[in-house]
Amino acid sequence: MPAQPPTILILPLGRLETLVLRVVAGYIQGILKVPVDIGETVEVPQETYIPDRHQYDAGLLIRFLREFAPSYRCVLGITSVDITLPIFTHVFGEAELGGHAALVSTYRLGKDTHGRRVTDAVFYERVAKVALHEIGHVFSLYHCGDGKCVMRFSAKLDGLDEIPLYFCDRCYFLLRRMIFRNRAGEDT
Amino acid sequence: MANARILVVDDELIVRESLMGWLRKAGHIVDCAQGGLEALGKIRETEYDLVFLDIKMPDMSGIEVLEKICECSPETMVIMITAYGSVETAVEAMKLGASDYLMKPFEPEHLLVLVDKLLRQKRIIEENILLKEQVAARRVRYQDLVGASPCMQRLFELIEEVAAVDSPVLIRGETGTGKELVAKAIHAKSRRRYGPFVAINCGAFPENLLESELFGFEAGAFTGAVKTRKGRIEMAEGGTLFLDEVGEIPLKMQIDMLRVLEEKRFQRLGGRDFISVDFRCVAATHGNLEEEIRKGNFRKDLYFRLNVIEIEVPPLRERKEDIGLLAEYFLSRFRRETNKSVMAITKDAIEFLESYDWPGNVRELENAIERAVVLAKDKVLTRKDFAFLTRQPDVLDEGDKTLEAVEKHHIARVLEECGWNVSKAARILGINRTTLHNKIKKYNLKDRQQ
Repeated sequence: MPAQPPTILILPLGRLETLVLRVVAGYIQGILKVPVDIGETVEVPQETYIPDRHQYDAGLLIRFLREFAPSYRCVLGITSVDITLPIFTHVFGEAELGGHAALVSTYRLGKDTHGRRVTDAVFYERVAKVALHEIGHVFSLYHCGDGKCVMRFSAKLDGLDEIPLYFCDRCYFLLRRMIFRNRAGEDT
Repeated sequence: MANARILVVDDELIVRESLMGWLRKAGHIVDCAQGGLEALGKIRETEYDLVFLDIKMPDMSGIEVLEKICECSPETMVIMITAYGSVETAVEAMKLGASDYLMKPFEPEHLLVLVDKLLRQKRIIEENILLKEQVAARRVRYQDLVGASPCMQRLFELIEEVAAVDSPVLIRGETGTGKELVAKAIHAKSRRRYGPFVAINCGAFPENLLESELFGFEAGAFTGAVKTRKGRIEMAEGGTLFLDEVGEIPLKMQIDMLRVLEEKRFQRLGGRDFISVDFRCVAATHGNLEEEIRKGNFRKDLYFRLNVIEIEVPPLRERKEDIGLLAEYFLSRFRRETNKSVMAITKDAIEFLESYDWPGNVRELENAIERAVVLAKDKVLTRKDFAFLTRQPDVLDEGDKTLEAVEKHHIARVLEECGWNVSKAARILGINRTTLHNKIKKYNLKDRQQ
């Protein structure tokens, strides 16, 4: 009997359009070929708010997500609030390397570099790219030097638009291997 | 450049965690320290490529720590972390030797660019050190292959083709044929030419030393491992790893080598982190690997992984037409290196060199020319200057083993060695000059130099 792939849970943090969640779930299922569930909405914890920055602490949000649904291999939080790590001006997403939780913020993904709204297609694609990138980190992938890989690091919108919505052969190989490896590091 | 060893020094947990998290996702190996004293302790134990150093810390100021780092680990790059308002201190730090500074909070993209830039600089410095070491050892002869013979021309064409792809190469050939020069030529012609060329002779180390030399080790991995050290595999990042005498890799280590070649990642001895590497593997052997596979001394899977492209370097006896060219080339080189005014080599001497079998191949020819140049008394090298190559062309026929034939051959050989100084030859042979003259006449021996 073929091994059962682990399931990923998408958790809406705060108010979000259902369509975003469904589109991201579709992309993850299609590309990673693993089942994806969408959970009930959870409020963004107020203790993660940084008042002087008007942003939410992505590190604390990851700690918050870590406690959710331990039966899932990965919990991906999606939020519309602006997130950052205290040393950075902003981040699009955050994840625990080789851990359990990942996070995507849609806050900065809906506009172009001049502040104009982008089309829904571009917006959904950006959210999916950040989601796949952060999930890659949960499955122990590092940033990739290949310009044709979603694991290439980009903290700018034009850079994000340039990278594709798929993994390079090497990252995909490693990712699939890690997906089918349980938390104890054994192949399933 | 991934897999750098980085230390984050900051008294704020949130800064340490954020920076470490980001750097680890970029594939680096990251340690942290809460203050200056802890940081200096770690720097004494481990060789770091990069240090992020907070300017304000309770136990020691960042500037004091920087000064100590510059003293004990000058090759380490230091980035000062500063808050808004302390830019002047950061500028002062740069005057004292810091590589750059970051003001919190910074753009993630800025961090990426800065880390990449400094690690590239570090890589160039390391390559320069490596090159200087190679120059000191007089081994820098990139694309120094010499040969006009058809077999060498074919070899050059093959190198061109092989250099264009990134597949592993197995170079075969007798000892002294120039396998390492072929490997260097492949590297110098490939897209990896700006990366390092790292060579290791697998037969030159005992098993445990070879393992630490190839894979590197973490501090404390074994007795005497006081400081973390990169292995040759890690040093070959972005370039070419040349495994000379690959057949000498112990069977037990062959499986580790196979894994590195397949997965392009490995662990240092005593290390837990996987280190990704990107290098091209070029291996060489003078032995018969197929025979070693048959005997169970070499893994078949490793053989197939190494032998994607095979290059055979011909022995010198199969390209004797190149001997004149090589002799001229080495003469010109040793003239420069020894500062002697030996300007040429006679045709007769070349013919003599061509008649020799060269079991040690090009390396033996190189040594012969060097010896002749060093000992030469004239401006031109003659056949006499190569008398030490005792295997003359007038060797005994297989069937001619009479006492007379042996005597003729022996006298001719001694005369050649003495440069046809009859008195000296007579002394060595234990006969008087008259007897020797008679024997020269009897056997019709002639000095070919006259």
